[in-house]
Order: sequence, then C-alpha cells, then structure tokens
Amino acid sequence: MAASCHDVDPVPGKPTETGTSLLETATGAIQGFAPVNQIHQHLCAFHFFGDDMTRQVEAHHFCAHLNEDVRQCLIFDGPDAGARLIGVEYIVSEELFLTLPDDEKPLWHTHEFEVKGGVLFMPGVPGVVERRDLETVAKTYGKTIHFWQVDRGDALPLGLPQIMMALTREGQLRQDLAECVEKKFGVSFQKERENRAYMTGPAHGIHPLANAAGKGLKTSIREVDLPDPTTRARVFT
Amino acid sequence: MASSDKKPLPTPASTGGDGGPPGKPTTMSTMMLDKGAAALQSLRPVKQINQHVCTFALYAHDPHRQLTSPRSYLHRIIGVEYIVSRKIFEALPKEEQRLWHSHAHEIRAGLWASPRVPEMLEKTELDHMAGTFGKFWCTWQVDRGDRLPLGAPALMVSPQAERIATVLPDLVRKRDQKYGFSTEELKAARADVDVPADPRPGQADYWVRHHKGFALDVVPHEMKRHAPFP
Repeated sequence: MAASCHDVDPVPGKPTETGTSLLETATGAIQGFAPVNQIHQHLCAFHFFGDDMTRQVEAHHFCAHLNEDVRQCLIFDGPDAGARLIGVEYIVSEELFLTLPDDEKPLWHTHEFEVKGGVLFMPGVPGVVERRDLETVAKTYGKTIHFWQVDRGDALPLGLPQIMMALTREGQLRQDLAECVEKKFGVSFQKERENRAYMTGPAHGIHPLANAAGKGLKTSIREVDLPDPTTRARVFT
Repeated sequence: MASSDKKPLPTPASTGGDGGPPGKPTTMSTMMLDKGAAALQSLRPVKQINQHVCTFALYAHDPHRQLTSPRSYLHRIIGVEYIVSRKIFEALPKEEQRLWHSHAHEIRAGLWASPRVPEMLEKTELDHMAGTFGKFWCTWQVDRGDRLPLGAPALMVSPQAERIATVLPDLVRKRDQKYGFSTEELKAARADVDVPADPRPGQADYWVRHHKGFALDVVPHEMKRHAPFP
C-alpha cells in the first residue's frame, strides 16, 4: 500500500540506529504514556490551506476525547509507521464553538459536509459502527494547524504553522486525491454519502464566522521587542 | 483575527471553571465506541511514539511567560516540537534557522529530564540530544488559563544561560516535587555531557542574540480557490 497520495522527498538523516531503537523500546516500556494512550480513533479526511483551496492534503487524524465535547487529534500524512506528524486538530461541540470569541471563530471549520459527503472515514471500521460516531462529528467544529507542508514536497517542517480549512461543498475536493484515497483504502465516497444522508449538521446551522468567515486567512510572523529583562518572570500555574 | 501575543477576550473559553476544558464528562457509550474503533484500527503512527521528556519552554514573544510540565491529569495536546541533528539544522535556510532553538543548555542545566528513566539509560541519549535543535509551536496557551485552544499558534524557545532566558526557580522546584527528581542533582551529574564547541551555529536562538522575539498573527487573506467557498 502506498504510504500517501502525495510525493515527498524522504526525510533527511541517517536511518534510526539499532542502539537508538533499543533505547526507545526500553523507554517505551518503562515510561508512562497516558496522553498518547488515550488516542483510540483513526479518522481520514482532507484539509486545505486557509489561503489556498487548491493545495489539499490527505490527513490521518489520531484522536482522543478530553471530554464528551472536546477531542484532540495528532495528524499524520499517512496511516503507517513511517508517517510524518504534520499537524494537530482540536474538535469541539457546537455548544462550545458558540462560546468562542468572534475573532476566534474564523480559525475553526465545520465538519458537516465532509461527514455527509462521505469523504471523512475511519479506516478499518465497518460503516454501521463508523456512522454512530460520525453522526456526532457532523455537528462539530474543528481547529486544524499544520506544521509540515508535505504537499509541496518539503522534506522537513519548514516555515510557519498554517491554519487549515475543511471541505464545505461539492466540487472542492480534487478528483485525483479523492480517487487515490478511495483506491488505497477500498472505500467509496459516493456510497457513504448515500448511507449518511440521514445525518444532520449543527443545530443552529453553519455559523457565518466559521470557515475563515467565508473568505480566507493566513499566518504571518513579526519581530517584537522583548519585555524588560529585569521584570520578574510571570508564571500562570 | 488572532495574534499569539494578544490575550483573548474573556469568554467561557478563556476563563472560569476548574482549569480543564469546558464540556460534559465523556459518556460510557462514547468510551465504548472508542474502544470498539481502537480494537479494529492499528494506530501505527501513534505507536511509534516511545519517549517521554519533560522540560521547560518560553514564549518567543514574552520569555517571562513559561510553560512547564503540563498538569498531566488533563493530558492536553499543547503543541508540537520537531527535533533535528546539527547537520540537518546547519543545512536549513537562514530565515528558517531563526525559528529553531538549541538544546545544549537545558540538558546541561538538568532542565530536560525523562520521567522514570534511570540515569544510566539517559546518558547515551543526553549526549546525542545536547547536539540537537528544536522547533516548537504551541497551539494551546494553557499557562494563561485558556480552557480551549485559542488564538494563533505561538513560537516557543528553550531556556538558555542568558538572564532573559532563565527558568523561574519556583517552576523548577514545583516540577521536581511533582516528578520526584532534583534538577540540581541532574545538573551535577551532567557535567560530562558532550556539548558542542559552538552550541549556537547559524541563526539558532536568534531571539536571545538579537533581543527580539517573534509573534504570529492570523490575518484575513483572499483564498485562492477553484470552487465556491464556503
């Protein structure tokens, strides 16, 4: 099975040495990994850049519940052991999304279309089981940040973090990417679309400020003056 | 829209509560669904994660604000760090290097620690890590009390010997108490850790040398599109 549907140079660097692997097997056995062990779900979906819909990425989410209304996911560019960690996504219920400040809402996207459209799926999980959770996901909002622009072939995580958006209607998803993923995972988006026709999105409809307020956004960096070094360090614990 | 150096407006997302995220406790049926999925899926990329390190990080726009070991009972993803060898770091473009920090100081100073790993096991790893460089983006500013991940991602930097880059002693003390080790003892034990002759090549730790921080903004920008949106 191909690792992913995009071309990217191998990550530079020497292969992991046996000594390193042994050491990490040891630490892996001795240390507690509670936050990582909470990750129980693999979701595959597509993201595109907040300032460029034409640049799309196959995104493998590995998610955990913080509570019933909040999830957090590590995003990899493939489902296999050598996959690159390319970003994170936070997912909240509609109720929590509505409490966000208005200048925050544009950074979040809706999931209704990608769930109902059949393009968001859980690899390996039968449709009947998958749909029970996706009914809930369809009503949620997500905030996705990517750090590694694998779609442009970056061999390393270069540049600034990118706020990503999700599909919101027919015609946005690139056909070549769709076909590659369907083939790789043996799924049919069209078939799932039919199976999920009964699902509903957020109760209050898609908020107009979500999805980059319907426009677009990007990140930029600036240099700032540092505070006076003689000021006592402040810590919020 | 959002800036990493601006505090969000007070809303339920940014204040109140017991510090944990708002929302109902995870229901039994959700837990069952999760367990069911986990039994069917391999989760291979996540299984590659096999090392837990605890250290301190400073916000690149305000190094007086510092992140320490997370309140682990909450298990929140607060950011991502990438770590590369010196060889890879040196091959990065200059502009890119400014976003990366060195690790030599925090390792020598005993700030970087692996919970529960015996000293012996750590030594080999420390020699290696002292020569690496990191790029750390914070996606959830928990230290200012955000109950949900608000705002623009923030660049984080590592503790350094310079005064503006030191970790507050109280923070170190709390971390030591929590994990049951002594940073001072670790520091003494690490006197022989291999530190490169030039621990700060290229533009590494740019902020410390130039006394300039970095803040990230998320701004409205026309989206290039091949189909209607939203």
